[in-house]
Amino acid sequence: IIFIQLHLVLCNHLISSNFTQDQKSMKKKAVDALPGSSWSPVLINPNLPPERADIVIVGGGVIGWSIAYWLKQKERVRGGLRVIVVERDPTYSRASTVLSAGGIRQQFSLLENIHLSLASADFMRNINDHLFVLKEDPVDLQFNHSGYMFLANEQVAHIMEENYRTQRSAGAEVSLLSPTQVKEKFPWINTDGVALASYGLENEGWFDPWSLLNAFRRKAVSMGVVQCCGEVTGFKYKTNVVNSVDGEQMFIRRIQSVKVQMPNSLEYQPVECAIVVNAAGAFSGKLAEMLGIGSSPEDSIAGIPLPVEPRKRYIYVVHCPDGPGLDTPFLIDYSGVYFRREGLGGNYITGTSPEEDEEPDTSNLDVDHEFFVDKVWPSLAHRVPAFEKLKVTSAWAGFYDYNTFDQNGIIGVHPLINNMYFATGFSGHGLQQSPAVGRGVAELILDGNFRTLDLSGLSFRRILTQEPMLERNIV
Amino acid sequence: MLKILIPTVMLVVTTWNVRAKWLWPATLTHSLLISMLSLTWFAHTSETGWKSLNSYMATDLISTPLLVLSCWLLPIMILASQNHLSQEPANRQRTYISLLISLQIFLILAFSSTEIVLFFLMFEATLIPTLMIITRWGSQAERLNAGTYFLFYTLAGSLPLLVSILYIQTCAGTTSLLILHYAPALPMTSFADKLLWAGCLLAFLVKMPLYGIHLWLPKAHVEAPIAGSMVLAAVLLKLGGYGMMRIMVILEPLTKELCYPFIILALWGVIMTGSICLRQTDLKSLIAYSSVGHMGLVAAAILIQTPWSFTGALILMIAHGLTSSALFCLANTNYERTHSRTMLLARGLQAIFPLMASWWFLASLANLALPPLPNLMGELMIVTSLFNWSWFTLLLTGAGTLITAGYSLYMFLMTQRGPLPVHILGLEPSHSREHLLLTLHLLPLLLLIMKPELIWGWAI
Repeated sequence: IIFIQLHLVLCNHLISSNFTQDQKSMKKKAVDALPGSSWSPVLINPNLPPERADIVIVGGGVIGWSIAYWLKQKERVRGGLRVIVVERDPTYSRASTVLSAGGIRQQFSLLENIHLSLASADFMRNINDHLFVLKEDPVDLQFNHSGYMFLANEQVAHIMEENYRTQRSAGAEVSLLSPTQVKEKFPWINTDGVALASYGLENEGWFDPWSLLNAFRRKAVSMGVVQCCGEVTGFKYKTNVVNSVDGEQMFIRRIQSVKVQMPNSLEYQPVECAIVVNAAGAFSGKLAEMLGIGSSPEDSIAGIPLPVEPRKRYIYVVHCPDGPGLDTPFLIDYSGVYFRREGLGGNYITGTSPEEDEEPDTSNLDVDHEFFVDKVWPSLAHRVPAFEKLKVTSAWAGFYDYNTFDQNGIIGVHPLINNMYFATGFSGHGLQQSPAVGRGVAELILDGNFRTLDLSGLSFRRILTQEPMLERNIV
Repeated sequence: MLKILIPTVMLVVTTWNVRAKWLWPATLTHSLLISMLSLTWFAHTSETGWKSLNSYMATDLISTPLLVLSCWLLPIMILASQNHLSQEPANRQRTYISLLISLQIFLILAFSSTEIVLFFLMFEATLIPTLMIITRWGSQAERLNAGTYFLFYTLAGSLPLLVSILYIQTCAGTTSLLILHYAPALPMTSFADKLLWAGCLLAFLVKMPLYGIHLWLPKAHVEAPIAGSMVLAAVLLKLGGYGMMRIMVILEPLTKELCYPFIILALWGVIMTGSICLRQTDLKSLIAYSSVGHMGLVAAAILIQTPWSFTGALILMIAHGLTSSALFCLANTNYERTHSRTMLLARGLQAIFPLMASWWFLASLANLALPPLPNLMGELMIVTSLFNWSWFTLLLTGAGTLITAGYSLYMFLMTQRGPLPVHILGLEPSHSREHLLLTLHLLPLLLLIMKPELIWGWAI
């Protein structure tokens, strides 16, 4: 009897321990398989983009997310458009947006640029009217309205005066200051060599680019834009052969689907789409090459490449305890050196554009500290004597999506690719124009042409006809 | 009867045995020949009673139009699928065509069956090829969801139907339609008989669909490829209507009281789906919801069981089948070019596709029941007979007709008129195949203006 009892106890013990474990796992499996849970017998990678979308925006920088937000803003019915934004680096480690100095100014010479910046500044001042999401924190761009100040020497003072007239006529609040007035206003400036200064009174300054990007992204995602982490590695397109009036044979392409590859994997998903927006910033040229833009012989339209390439620019954070005060504007000297205040602890951000023939290597984002010592510090210390005593605390490098043709943005459809819209090539002023550019591209796609701001001057046509729209006085 | 059925079965053999180069022309010609042959069914010498009789299959005046419609639809489906299947390997193309042909066989057997059990079997059997077409060849991830909705809505409705049919067999001794007309009426007195009434009709109401249990239809239509949408809209919905017409005979006298909630649901559905159509951004979804609205009218007409309403229901079923299928073909021509079903992205097409715009115009006018098209005949008879049944329905049907006109015009104006966006300019021109496809849809519709006797069932 004892033997039987022992046997029973042992068996019970064995059965129950395995049995309860099995029971637990069976229960878990059953709970997983009930409707409402995400278990499925067929494992599908949840990070893949959907198989179909109406509009695919390549590039998740501030321009891409701005376009996504405005597209959703302008769809007339909720859920009317399926938009996905494809971004290959969710950490934004090499994206131009977050590595930017974050300035916004209206002191351009082209009317389109001035209008774009004005509209964007207005957007950013009332950003919570546009980008506020319920039950989330309101958007705080940390917009410092300290203005920009351009300094001009004798040779370029007349250009500055003409620009001033253009800017005033467009509605920008800019003022011209003589050297004595500059010295009165900002005693820390050395006005040696300065003939004229142009100071922005309103809607100019700097803000936090990361906040703007996140605000756009948060709002767009709340309106239903799908965010996909992946890299566009190819397109599937249909080609039509068209004979132009002068007998030239042109290949007009129409994109049928975008091949999105998952990071660190061979897995990819072809996303069938109606429209593709190229907002890839510094890497837009590579994207355009996938479609054969620029790979034909030189003398045809197809031979003209998208003139956007990455250019590396350095930004140095310096600490100077006796530096300019809190009302210091974003100062840009005629030598090209610029600086602005960063925070309240006596830190400043400074940098300059290198010469054409001394462009740094763009294969990485390493900072050249010699550049600061050789090119930036001398002019900086000359202009602001307090900066003779400073210490470089940090530095980083970022890419400009540099338009090698005329250093201004390209907005519009490519003549040879029916359904690819470009919004790239802003060469350093993309961030400040992003809200208005997004609105313009959304109007172009959904309404057929521009409604609020006429940006047809920034279309691809000027590149085809080789008529550059150059800014006078560029940073 | 067999002279149509056997060639259709042999069409499967044709599909698998012709050389790949001749696959589409051969199947097209073969199915067109079959549909020409099917037109002989229209030669009815007697106005009541059954023709082309054999033990299991017969045609009479309400099944003949539907049979001819389903035979007509096969060549049109093959024409429509040619483009989007051209990139698939040959064997997969053959499989697709075989699925369409098997659907055709089941439909012929369903509409010509003389036994309710055979009709039920074929009713269920049509689900299988349709499910395969939707879930395998649809274009989006949602097609799995759509297939599930489609399958389970219909199955859930048809289980009570199976039980009811078996009960009828034990009670009346037969389920043959030839005999049931003359059988003594079933004793319909207890509460269980009310459940019998509901059980008989629920499957067909789900299939029609009745507003309230219509959720499967927009999903299935939108996710299906073009041939799937066409056959769903044109014929499969009519299976529900036809089944209702057949089985109402034995369900007297309960229908007088029990039909109220369903008529109200159907008519309310006309208004609601019409309003939903006004807000749609997806073109196929708009056409799917318009199908629900039209079939709501048909459902209400069949439920009141008057001669005029049956006639109106039958005419509207045929006319709607042709119109809806034509609209889906037009939407597909858009989709194949722009790869998007959003109406906002394909506007102003009249400027680049003028002939296609005229087909759009005709199809939209047919959708809003313009005289003298048979759509109007059907709707008018239904509205009149409903008004006779109760004057109150005129408010609902009148408002429904108004909203139908509204969204049909909205669809036409959104797609054809308006500014032409820049990214639309490079679309490839219309194929003559597409023009042929739409002609084959709209020509019968126009010819039926001349001889509506073909489709109005038992004479008025």
